[in-house]
Amino acid sequence: MDTVVNDFVQVLRDHRVRVSPAESIDALRALEQTGLGERGIVKDTLRATLVKNGEDVGTFDRLFDLFFSLRPVAEKPGARVRGHDHDHDHGPPPARLELGEESGGQKPEETEHTHDKDESTEMRKFFDEERMRPSNDVHGDAERMRLSMFSQELILNRKPGAMESALQRLTYHMRLRRSRNMFNPGGLVPNPGGEEIPLDVSAADLEGLIDHLHELEVDEAIVEQLEAQAENILKGLPELIKQMQERDKLLKKDAGDDSEVRRRALKKMLHFSASEQREMEAAVRRIARKIQGARTRRLKEDRTGRISVPHTLRHNVRYEGVPFDPVLRKRREGKPRVTLLCDVSLSTRNLSRFWLHMIYQMQSLFSKVRTFVFVADVAEVTQVLEEHDMNRAVDEIFSGRIIDADVNSDFGKAAGQFRDQFLPTINHRTTVVILGDGRNNGKWANTQALEEISQHARQVVWITPEPRWGWNLGSCDMPLYEAICDRVEVVRTVEQLGGVAEGLVKARA
Amino acid sequence: MFESIEEVRERLAEQDYVSDTRLATVVFLATRLNKPVLVEGPAGVGKTELAKSLAGAAGRDLIRLQCYEGLDEAKALYEWEYSKQLLYTQVLREKIGEVLKPAKDLSEAAEILRGQEDTFFSENFLVERPILQALRSEESSVLLIDEIDRADEEFEAFLLEFLSDFQVSIPEIGTVKAKAPPVVILTSNRTRELSEALKRRCLHLQLGYPSGDVELEIVRLKAPGIGEALSKELVNTIQGIRELDLRKAPSIGETLDWAQSLVVLNAKDLSKDLIESTISVIAKHDRDAEKMLDHLGVNAADTKHLGQTEPTGENPSEAMYEMHRSAHKHAR
Repeated sequence: MDTVVNDFVQVLRDHRVRVSPAESIDALRALEQTGLGERGIVKDTLRATLVKNGEDVGTFDRLFDLFFSLRPVAEKPGARVRGHDHDHDHGPPPARLELGEESGGQKPEETEHTHDKDESTEMRKFFDEERMRPSNDVHGDAERMRLSMFSQELILNRKPGAMESALQRLTYHMRLRRSRNMFNPGGLVPNPGGEEIPLDVSAADLEGLIDHLHELEVDEAIVEQLEAQAENILKGLPELIKQMQERDKLLKKDAGDDSEVRRRALKKMLHFSASEQREMEAAVRRIARKIQGARTRRLKEDRTGRISVPHTLRHNVRYEGVPFDPVLRKRREGKPRVTLLCDVSLSTRNLSRFWLHMIYQMQSLFSKVRTFVFVADVAEVTQVLEEHDMNRAVDEIFSGRIIDADVNSDFGKAAGQFRDQFLPTINHRTTVVILGDGRNNGKWANTQALEEISQHARQVVWITPEPRWGWNLGSCDMPLYEAICDRVEVVRTVEQLGGVAEGLVKARA
Repeated sequence: MFESIEEVRERLAEQDYVSDTRLATVVFLATRLNKPVLVEGPAGVGKTELAKSLAGAAGRDLIRLQCYEGLDEAKALYEWEYSKQLLYTQVLREKIGEVLKPAKDLSEAAEILRGQEDTFFSENFLVERPILQALRSEESSVLLIDEIDRADEEFEAFLLEFLSDFQVSIPEIGTVKAKAPPVVILTSNRTRELSEALKRRCLHLQLGYPSGDVELEIVRLKAPGIGEALSKELVNTIQGIRELDLRKAPSIGETLDWAQSLVVLNAKDLSKDLIESTISVIAKHDRDAEKMLDHLGVNAADTKHLGQTEPTGENPSEAMYEMHRSAHKHAR
């Protein structure tokens, strides 16, 4: 059981669900308590112990259904397989494998399979839930085909250990072949039709495996049986893959036109890996500790700080004025207000992606963060960042649905629009941060608009990824804008950005 | 405490708490594994109620700790009772004089006094706050740590020792270990993300809005005065409203409030007038109320404003207000 749970945890981790070893141990302990009798309860148990973030629940549900859904289907309804009580009855091996269905999927073959349902559920009785091995994850890198646990078990019972490595070799080979063909690195637009799996190679591997088995002097009957079974699986494989591809296609068709494909391509480009995300969280936390914001003028009672004589006296009157209970007071740090204007045109996309992630994390740290994005038009995205989880929000912003992200950037127009629509949102406590390279593509700089914004705001900070010497090259209006901004920072790394964030508030204190 | 998952459900149902297997499984595991449960979900879906019902179902005491910003261990764990200590020193003044009599000089007196220190820093003068109370109670209790997301991160860190080992360290006395580990339920509205360390120590339960059937059952249980037809209509309406894009979707709490107000008003069915006059029960924001009324086909043109609106910047007339507030930046 523990290997199965561990495998499942691994799959979860592959899909960016963070699961610590302590949690998987918890899961095992919990399963001991609940038993494996009911699928629903096993699912609830694993969910409660492994998934701690609301956003991950969907992923978990999907993966659980996929992971524990490959069921062997008996050829004849009467065929009984007693794999489970280890008595080596040599019943007919499961002849066909069925793809796990995702919640009533849209597969055309659905009707063909429905009459098998009863048998398959009957079959399930003979297999412990935990022996249902994962086969196939339609959605990602964890694509692996495995022989059913049952067959593994048949042989493993005779020759413990010896078989496993051999079988895993097979799995390994097949996985390798597949993954090499599943992805085309470098290509931005995934090509859904281009995945062909050369099955002959895998078959050759299988022969090798069987030879290997003979050498191992495993019971001949079992080897034969395995051979037959594996052949069956291999025969079924192309069909399975075809089904899978068809379903994928269907899914894609459902999801919409090529904007969907484009979105996915972008996703690849924009997504943060789990480790990156973790690093980011840590970095933001560090920065947050540093910035804290300006100090408020009023002192507040606190556990640390200076002794306030008047308050202590007043408080300790009840102890006859003996200062038993000193009252400490300290200046609280106020949270700064930030309005962020972010250029999401192609030239600064990499940096703004990072910045958006950072702002997403920071929204809770500043008292008021309002985020706007612009290329030529301005739009507010504060809500988008609040409502969606990080990666989705960033996708949304770059998807072109909020503003057209593919035109040339036009700072003048953006500044003008911002002044007309959103000027009331900034006041003398707001720090306006503009992220962009100031490359106006020869359009009107509209310095008046920026000047007006600057008059209303506490300070205007411009963050540009381009070093100063580059400003004179091409159509860059940075020198014009620099005169208006309180500060211009050249930022190329995380640390630098952290430094700027820190500076934002230091200037106030 | 419970023998099976089914029993958890039944016993909770006896407390008028409608649960599903998912919730029952988590509660069962919590009692078996002695692990705290972290319940997350929007306001008013019965997170706090779960703890209350659980205490009722198990026949245990419920100890509640409401979290807020600035909550510290003096409020959550223990505190020395200064006034009692002072009172004792006053009353025992003579006795202290007696004890100190043999002392020849000040340093010797201080030495004697130091020997008596334990008297004044003993459990006798300790005010138990919820966590210590839960640890020291003879019988296992249910400890509800409500709205943990409102407390500071330091407090979260402070909870870690308690949550993993059910013990706390008090400098003057030592480590207090639970006699009977309590069932701990933490609730969070997700106003901020909790730390990984805390989440790791808990079983996680996500509570959402209930399905129509479950909600109907809850209405029947908690607002018995309401007619069958009306309660169905009410639940359908609420379920429809939740589909809208609202700032604060009505939760079960609001459904029940609404049901109860309808009972009070002696309503027979949900007429448009009635909806309009009672919409404030379920809508907590002005704009939400308008949206709901639009959705329900009630003319919203003359709805009264429920409260003062903050400047959002979307209305140009607010500009003057903000401009005024911004004063003169350069004059400062």
